[in-house]
Amino acid sequence: MSSLAPTPATAEPQKRAKRPIPRQSKANRPLLYPLAAFRRGATLFLETLLWCIKPGALKRRRRQILEQLFVIGNKSVVFITVTLGVLGLISVFQVLVQVERILPDFSMIGPAFIQIMTREFAPTMAGLMIATRVGSGIAAEIGSMVVTEQVDALRMCNADPVDYLVMPRFVASVIQTTLLSIYGCVIGVASGFIAAGLFWNIPAGTFFNLQLVAYGDVVSGLMKAVAYGMAVPIVAAQAGLETSGGSEGVGTATTRAVVNASFSVVVLDFLLSGFSFLFLSKGPM
Amino acid sequence: MSVSIRDAGQEQLIVATGLYKSFGGEPILLDVGVEVFRGRILGIIGPGGVGKSLLMKMLAGLVEPDAGDVTVLGQSLQSLNASGLARVRDRMGFLFQNYALFDFMDVGQNIAFPLEQMGVPKAEITRRVAERLAEVELPGIERLFPNELAGGLKKRVALARATIAGAPILLYDDPTAGLDPVTSSKIFELIRRLHRPDGATVIVGHDIDRMVAVCDEWLLLHEGAVLFRGTTEEGRASSHEVLKTFFMETGMLGAAA
Repeated sequence: MSSLAPTPATAEPQKRAKRPIPRQSKANRPLLYPLAAFRRGATLFLETLLWCIKPGALKRRRRQILEQLFVIGNKSVVFITVTLGVLGLISVFQVLVQVERILPDFSMIGPAFIQIMTREFAPTMAGLMIATRVGSGIAAEIGSMVVTEQVDALRMCNADPVDYLVMPRFVASVIQTTLLSIYGCVIGVASGFIAAGLFWNIPAGTFFNLQLVAYGDVVSGLMKAVAYGMAVPIVAAQAGLETSGGSEGVGTATTRAVVNASFSVVVLDFLLSGFSFLFLSKGPM
Repeated sequence: MSVSIRDAGQEQLIVATGLYKSFGGEPILLDVGVEVFRGRILGIIGPGGVGKSLLMKMLAGLVEPDAGDVTVLGQSLQSLNASGLARVRDRMGFLFQNYALFDFMDVGQNIAFPLEQMGVPKAEITRRVAERLAEVELPGIERLFPNELAGGLKKRVALARATIAGAPILLYDDPTAGLDPVTSSKIFELIRRLHRPDGATVIVGHDIDRMVAVCDEWLLLHEGAVLFRGTTEEGRASSHEVLKTFFMETGMLGAAA
């Protein structure tokens, strides 16, 4: 070690700011925050899709996907049952109260309600419930892994956090949001019938009539469910992966995840409703 | 400021030059350079919040510097893609300051994880996990979860995970933070034992009394820059005011006296 040449002991300590501070990027300007966040979200979405289609990736992460299927389903099923059940009851009740004043015929209430549940209420309410219940869970879980350096530990073990943490949640969320939307539709329609049957004596044969439900309505509902199922875990995982600071940072990330995921459901609903109106068949099933 | 250590006989496994990092416009590291030679143990010391852990994460490619370059085993981390970085990390082990044990896995799964990622057969993983647990004096705790362990045990499990793949480059970020003296001594004894003569070890820490027994070289960070780099003897011999104060307060000079 004799050849080592330490810093001369008499040397003055290093002066600060020897180099110019790098300019802040444009993305740091408040007006461009949403655009930068959207770009990062889109990048995360593409990365996740790439991991999904990698040969053997789904098989390799089978255990995590099954765990997430259980977690997402378990977290949401009661929530969706109650929410869509109550929504079905109240909607049909309120509609019948109003319709009673204008029309003597209630025969189209059931078919119209089934149509709107299929294409709008069921997927969107399920999406919003999953955005709050599951989105917050994903952001908190990944966020706390970030602040406790577990995500860095994954990287050091050569496990890509997108592959290991995001992809299984993404796949499980797409499957469960679709299934829960269908389930929510059944619950909503059934509880709507309870209101119609109990208070207005509308027979089941009249209420459960699919004459207004077109293929386009079913495709629109399923398309929305899949889109929400994709958007919620991506938005929540992005919030989680960008967590900084300690427990306060996790709280902020969780709030951001719920707000952004709910917002993305509403925006997607608007876009996909417009798409369905313009392009999807309105012919009967 | 990059202080050069010239030693033609030694191969550099890690070379970092001109590292600069700021957060929110506040510079943390200013033109820092590090060289880690094969067979050596480098201790990085300095006051709290000076950027030691940040520097360590830069050496592992976990944090990207605003300026400067880190070269590990001859490969510039900044120029590597994800798979290239993965190949370099296969040859590194990292012990995190706060353990960073996966809380959704038990101890056995935590330690086995790096080997699973490398595609090692299951039977061999089981054998190596048991061996490594015995080495860190925690045999038979595979089924416990991290939240069931005390701090010292967690540290030893994290040490087992960081070293199970037999990586030649080992990075330890404050390995004895918050531990009692007996456990701290055991941890440093393990670090010394697990150091490979054909590899390199870097330790960030404050426990200089114990680090003296392990480290060959020192790097003192002060106000975001390298204030001193050299051997223990050179550190003790220095008359630099900051250096003297730091070593005196941490007991290093006392050990020499």
